[in-house]
Amino acid sequence: MTDAAAVSRARAGDADAFRTLVDRHSNAVFRVAYRMTGNEHDADDVVQETLLRAYRQLERFEERANFGTWLHRIAINCSLDLLRARGRADKHYGGDPEEAELSGAAKSDAQQDRLLLSAELQTHVKAAMERLSGNERTAFVLRHFEGMPVEEIGKTLGIQVNAAKHTIFRAVRKLRESLEPLVRSKACNT
Amino acid sequence: MQHLNEEQLVLHHYHDGDGAAQAEQHLAACADCRAQYETLRRVLTLVDSMPIPERGAEYGEQVWTRLRWKLGSERRRVRRWQAAFAAAAMLAIAFVSGILWHQRTNSVGAGAPASASAPEGGRAHTAAIAAAPETNKPTQILFVVVSDHLDRSERMLLEVANARAGRPLDMSEERAEDLVASNRIYRISAQQRGETRIASLLSDIEPVLLELAHAGSTLSPEKLAALQKRIDSKGLLFKVRVMSAQVDDRETAGAAPKGTNSL
Repeated sequence: MTDAAAVSRARAGDADAFRTLVDRHSNAVFRVAYRMTGNEHDADDVVQETLLRAYRQLERFEERANFGTWLHRIAINCSLDLLRARGRADKHYGGDPEEAELSGAAKSDAQQDRLLLSAELQTHVKAAMERLSGNERTAFVLRHFEGMPVEEIGKTLGIQVNAAKHTIFRAVRKLRESLEPLVRSKACNT
Repeated sequence: MQHLNEEQLVLHHYHDGDGAAQAEQHLAACADCRAQYETLRRVLTLVDSMPIPERGAEYGEQVWTRLRWKLGSERRRVRRWQAAFAAAAMLAIAFVSGILWHQRTNSVGAGAPASASAPEGGRAHTAAIAAAPETNKPTQILFVVVSDHLDRSERMLLEVANARAGRPLDMSEERAEDLVASNRIYRISAQQRGETRIASLLSDIEPVLLELAHAGSTLSPEKLAALQKRIDSKGLLFKVRVMSAQVDDRETAGAAPKGTNSL
């Protein structure tokens, strides 16, 4: 059954059809929610809220549109609502920013060798992302992972296009500051 | 030659801005900027490796299990509104019909004695009102409240069935006591209305709810194990789910045309 057929049947009241959509899209919604919130439990909450909103708004879904894309948009809005409700819109997500900053600083040769391990790199990427403020992270995730145009990011965040652009610049600069030593050392070692 | 700044490199990476062609030309000619861009590209590629916790293949099923409670209450809320609206509309129609009928009989029988028209108008009014409460029968109300109660009970039984010894059970005494009190009322109502299967199931779950109300969140590992065994051996969760679906169907059949399968 295609998504369009499942939506059509769910609209007519078929619970199993909506269940099929939940089953099919939950993992993808979780990924976008996690990138947006940076927190596993928050991401689970966002998944629930997204699907509940989708169910309530099924009548508004245009059948020609892509259901997955539509869900992503709802998930992004739910994530933003959650972050705003928690007052995290312009705060750091978690972890210790000082520690995150240190992670990007120059390290000894032995340490640099260890950084080649993918798991270690991932830890550093996570820490670098945690250095971003809420808006920086959101704008960056929307541009980098979701491929959303800057104009739309501005609308989503309720800010001017220029402000959205500069938020993305700031995010990229911070990520570069944290991660550049790693890509350099990796390049030297490979 | 003016080098590309960091912002221009970012714009170039995401194909944003108007100067794509110039940036491309500059990068082809300038080794410094090319190196800068390469570093940026590597950083952003590294970001792609940001770890995302794994949610297995069964995640959709888990999400659905939690979601169906919310969808259930959503559905009931909508249905209650529909029933209330239908009842209000029927009453309004009955009221207006009664008045119109009364006026008509008064004007037709202008010369007749007043006492002759009153029973006619009264009969019409009574007949219309008699049709009105069709959506509001006491048994129909029982289905609505029992359906809600079974959902809440199933959720509690599920929490107990999935609880692990040594971990605190997130369950307040008030919540369990509330369920026990509701269970008793609905069991008696079901018995009175001849709904023996509903009454029997509510009798089965009552001791478990009572036990939980007494224990609250301080359920000992032994008691938890005993309750889990009881839930399992009597197939309580399965029975509650089956009954819940049946009550939902009967509730729907009463509120909507027969054969309508709703969420």
